[in-house]
Amino acid sequence: MRQAPLPSALAVALPVFGATSILLAWQFVLPWLGVPAYIVPTPTAISGVFRKSLALLLSNLWPTLIEALAGFVIGNLAGVLLAVVFVHSRILQAAYFPVVLFFNTIPILALSPIIILIFGLGMTPKIVIAAVICFFPTLVNMIRGLDSASDNEHELFRVLSATRWEIFWSLRLPRALPMLFSSLRIASATAVIGAIVGEWIGSDKGLGALIIQATFNYQSDRLYAAIVLSSSLSIAMFSIVVLLERRAIRY
Amino acid sequence: MANAIETRRLDVGYGGRQTAVKVLTGLDLSVAAGSFLSILGPSGCGKSTLLRVVADLLDPLGGSISVLGDTPHAVRSRRDVGFVFQDSTLLPWRTVRDNVRLPLNVGQGRLTRTIDDRTDELLDLMGLAGFGERLPHQLSGGQRQRVAIARALLGQPRLLLMDEPFGALDEITRDRLNDELLSLWRRTGATILFVTHSIAEAAYLGERVIVLAANPGRLARDLDMRPFKQAGNRCSREDPAIVAAMAELRGALEQAS
Repeated sequence: MRQAPLPSALAVALPVFGATSILLAWQFVLPWLGVPAYIVPTPTAISGVFRKSLALLLSNLWPTLIEALAGFVIGNLAGVLLAVVFVHSRILQAAYFPVVLFFNTIPILALSPIIILIFGLGMTPKIVIAAVICFFPTLVNMIRGLDSASDNEHELFRVLSATRWEIFWSLRLPRALPMLFSSLRIASATAVIGAIVGEWIGSDKGLGALIIQATFNYQSDRLYAAIVLSSSLSIAMFSIVVLLERRAIRY
Repeated sequence: MANAIETRRLDVGYGGRQTAVKVLTGLDLSVAAGSFLSILGPSGCGKSTLLRVVADLLDPLGGSISVLGDTPHAVRSRRDVGFVFQDSTLLPWRTVRDNVRLPLNVGQGRLTRTIDDRTDELLDLMGLAGFGERLPHQLSGGQRQRVAIARALLGQPRLLLMDEPFGALDEITRDRLNDELLSLWRRTGATILFVTHSIAEAAYLGERVIVLAANPGRLARDLDMRPFKQAGNRCSREDPAIVAAMAELRGALEQAS
């Protein structure tokens, strides 16, 4: 049997309580258990990094932000455009979708060195990696979304003698928006992952590079601060996507 | 009176001409202009398929069909045909007003006549004044079908094709919409082809009811309802004459199934 929903005050208070209890346990119980600070620094130690080294953190946030955003835009745009081509040409879809599928099975960590070999050590390979990681879910979702109008809806447009272009703009595209936004939500997190993976492999700046440097130098508090920052970046991008989705889809 | 629809030995099916599965075979049917024809029949008898051929959504395999004295394609191109589906087929992202206006937004380049924006008039006519800015999910099932009918009427079509439009509605709403549809028909003078599974609905609405048989689809019974009704296709649902006509239709439907 389904449980009754929680009262609204509790629905807000309980997650706050959950997060606070974990932070308190982290702050007091882990040191008490003897977990050393170089493995798990306390939350106050991590927040100390934000006070002391804010300039360093921000200077590494910018490259990752730019790479993730550019990769997000390029990867999703490519996914959407290719989906449009595929739904309008079953022949091209039959010929090339399996190739794209194969391409997607290559682990991004295996693909990244090749991308860096091709594009060098600048921002471009990180943007490409972020774009590649965003591309496939959007392509698949967009193909399904553009094909999701019902037979009756297509017949309605046919009765009205709509052109292919009108069917695309007034039916297929609006029908695809919910599925597009589902993949954009996923891509908002994976774009950041792509940028960071690219920075791990070949970069001296960005949150990925900071994570690697902090790990090798046993600067655990800095490592955790970089993790918090990259997670915040994903959450910010996710929130923007959700806001755009609420404006675009009112039903 | 001239005929709105004329079919001769009409064969309709799905698939290629050689391998097609025939849904309707050898259908000879004449429908007078301005009349109200109800179409009854078991599932798979080709009721909806017949509407699709008339609306130029499907090409016949053989025989001939003339709609309003022309080809189905020409009639569709001048927007002389309106189609109402069982599910209202409203676009959920468009407001009620924008759904009704859809025929003004698409297909204009191919239209062979101009159509006027009668959105407000139609919203009034269908009892939807004040609902124009709502989204479809904010409406009841009956209201959604009213919007679908208003959209179908926007181009002032001379032919209205309705494919079980009230099939998913509760009985009270369905009865109310039946009455509204009849008054709309009297007012517009359009020819209506109305597909339904309900014997009572077919008998109440139609000036004439045809029963199609399945496997393959063919005309099984053609009943003129005018002798059972008062002038102007008026009757009450409990009228003994109508009840008798319904019994006759039930018998034909049982034989056709």
